[in-house]
Amino acid sequence: MKKFIKDLSFRFNITEIEYQRKNLAFVSVDKESVMQMLSYLRDTEGFSHFVLMTAVDWIEDGIFQLTYILNNPTKKIDLAIRIKILRENAEMYSAHHLWNQVATYQRELKEMFGINFPGSPRVNESFLLEGWDNIPPMRRDFDTKKYSEETYFPRPGRGTNDPAQHMKIKLYPNE
Amino acid sequence: MSSLKDILMPFTAWKNVFKEPVSIKDPLNERPGAPRYRGFHKNDVKSCIGCGTCESICENEAIDMVAIAGFDAKNGDSGLRPKVDYGRCCWCALCVDVCTTGSLTLSNEYKWVDTDSDNFRYIPGIDNKPWDNNELGWKKPGNGYEFYQLERVKMEELHPEERDKSFIEIIQGYSKEQAEKEADRCVECGICTATCPAHMGIPQYIKAIRNNNLEEGLRILYDTNPLPEICGRICTHKCETVCSIGHRGEAISIRWLKRYIADQNPSEKYKTILETDFIQKNGKKIAIIGSGPAGLSAAHYLAKMGYEVEIFEKLAQAGGMMRYGIPEYRLPYDSIDKDINYILSLGVKIHYNVNVGKDITLEQLGKDFDAVFAGTGLHLGRSTRIEGSDHKNVYQSIELLRKITQGEEIHVAEKIVVIGGGNVAMDITRSLARLQNQKYGKVQMITTSLETEEKMPADREEVVEAREEGAIINPGWAPQKVEIQDGIIKGLHVVQCMSLFDATGNFNPQCNMENARFFEGDMVVESIGQGMDLSYIAEPLKDDIEMGPRGRIKVNSDFQTSVPWLFMGGDTIQGPDVIHGIANGHRAAMGIDKYLTEQ
Repeated sequence: MKKFIKDLSFRFNITEIEYQRKNLAFVSVDKESVMQMLSYLRDTEGFSHFVLMTAVDWIEDGIFQLTYILNNPTKKIDLAIRIKILRENAEMYSAHHLWNQVATYQRELKEMFGINFPGSPRVNESFLLEGWDNIPPMRRDFDTKKYSEETYFPRPGRGTNDPAQHMKIKLYPNE
Repeated sequence: MSSLKDILMPFTAWKNVFKEPVSIKDPLNERPGAPRYRGFHKNDVKSCIGCGTCESICENEAIDMVAIAGFDAKNGDSGLRPKVDYGRCCWCALCVDVCTTGSLTLSNEYKWVDTDSDNFRYIPGIDNKPWDNNELGWKKPGNGYEFYQLERVKMEELHPEERDKSFIEIIQGYSKEQAEKEADRCVECGICTATCPAHMGIPQYIKAIRNNNLEEGLRILYDTNPLPEICGRICTHKCETVCSIGHRGEAISIRWLKRYIADQNPSEKYKTILETDFIQKNGKKIAIIGSGPAGLSAAHYLAKMGYEVEIFEKLAQAGGMMRYGIPEYRLPYDSIDKDINYILSLGVKIHYNVNVGKDITLEQLGKDFDAVFAGTGLHLGRSTRIEGSDHKNVYQSIELLRKITQGEEIHVAEKIVVIGGGNVAMDITRSLARLQNQKYGKVQMITTSLETEEKMPADREEVVEAREEGAIINPGWAPQKVEIQDGIIKGLHVVQCMSLFDATGNFNPQCNMENARFFEGDMVVESIGQGMDLSYIAEPLKDDIEMGPRGRIKVNSDFQTSVPWLFMGGDTIQGPDVIHGIANGHRAAMGIDKYLTEQ
């Protein structure tokens, strides 16, 4: 694995390497290298299987982190590629031409994080959230609690106590 | 574009027909959840303290804290227990991961069929469920994965060799970074507030530190405690004994965080921050006897309400036991002055060197003022009354500590024995150790108490630090006799103390006379508690005063005695410690206001 990553780093500008397990490593590259790297890994290095892609919202830094995980079924190793894109007007090149199923992941990311993938088939169609009228719910500035309070009715019979207040009432009501 | 291969492909599946299946063979049998499955909740309600952090962290508002019969609110336990609503729970297990006691866990059970949806709200551990005894399921992982630091931010202290000859302050105080890091450990449960005698808004002022809003922090402190510099240093910090984080880690350093707020706010800004630049006077006058914590606290809150307050102090400076009892290395005089000067800036007057009862009678004060508050404290040393304890070189700790503060020369022998196991005993031990070090270049102190090591009433750190400074602390011995030869003290005879209280809970020490020891020394200091001097309450007023249990004067919940204009509080009523005095003074101030308003 280490040798393979070393070879890889001669071809691509890898900024960070993290060895998670013997058969799984994470590498960070810049946005512009990803497409080239994905095709190279698929066509030359035997990473024929696309496992998944996902995103993390680093709201404090104003970026989204995208992670692509690929699998090499012969060598039985996984490689994850991380990139950072700007959070504002977030947009990324589509990789659906490399694996068909990437389009579905990209459609989901569009819906959950609001990251656009121009050219990706059906990317603007709802995936899970039909009729959603709020900011994408996986964005960290989406207030889940507020949304559920406004959207769902409270269950009858529920009520709670603040521990400190409850102790005051029970232990020192007149002080 | 079909080929022969495409047609034949499905038949290749037949090669697996005799292989062992990967999936589960029999769908009718039990399929237990994985060992770390996040299934239904379990709660060990006996170790749960009802801190409510599970409720606070729940993103879905699936948890309510509810009162339960048989679980009463008490010190360190709100009596509430979590009730889960499975209509909202998403089994994320954040409630388990944040739980301060580790009582809340998830079982690996995931099946529950019911026709009534209301049954899916239940109190784990109270409403019995089939999975209550499931060992498997999600527990807080013990691999250092924590939502808060379990260890305190270490407080910088002077090393024993830097401090054992001088009276400079040992504790250095937190920096901004340290204080914010320590404040970050608080889960804001508020369990501590009930235990604090003054019921301070502890989570609120810790939050102010986290938000770097120290002015707000100071306002919160002064809501309930007008002596934060002092309490931030020497409070008995009962709050820390019930801190929820203390169940699995070290309690939050509440006392040091309070000190941080007080230290960081400059005294010249206090009046602006606390909005006391202008106070509307109400024309009524209150006399206060004694300028200790109770008197100062009452003075502060009364002055804030617009009363004209005059304090009558027997000694030359204000502060009472805080100045004359507690040594400077624990509580520097500058810190006392900062708190007191602010109270004086509200218009409070102090008459120094006035002994009420001698220089002016209590009755006269009652006539000259609308009400009187007496916070006269415990200033009489108690004697063991053992043989030889009347020798001139047998001293009372409280008198020696007072003389050290006043700068008077005191007798410091080469070898000293101290009797007592409380904080005052540690104070005198450590003060004398410093003086021995200055005078002889070495420490020869033995301090002994009736109580064993585990039961000594002194704060643990006091005992540890006294030992670091070279004193020998040897607890568990009952003093029998001061050995005197040719008029000179030779030491103290002791026997092993087996128990302190009898079956009915009365003080009745039992000793093993076979196991005797002799502690060598040419000076003995008694530090076994203090008594009150109430001689200023003279006839005929005395006849109207109703007494309560244990020789204390009876007061109502407003700290009002049976003489309506006379209020009392502090060590003579409750405690003894500074924070009870502060709380008493505050409540008496409110009581006086109520009494004078209703009149």
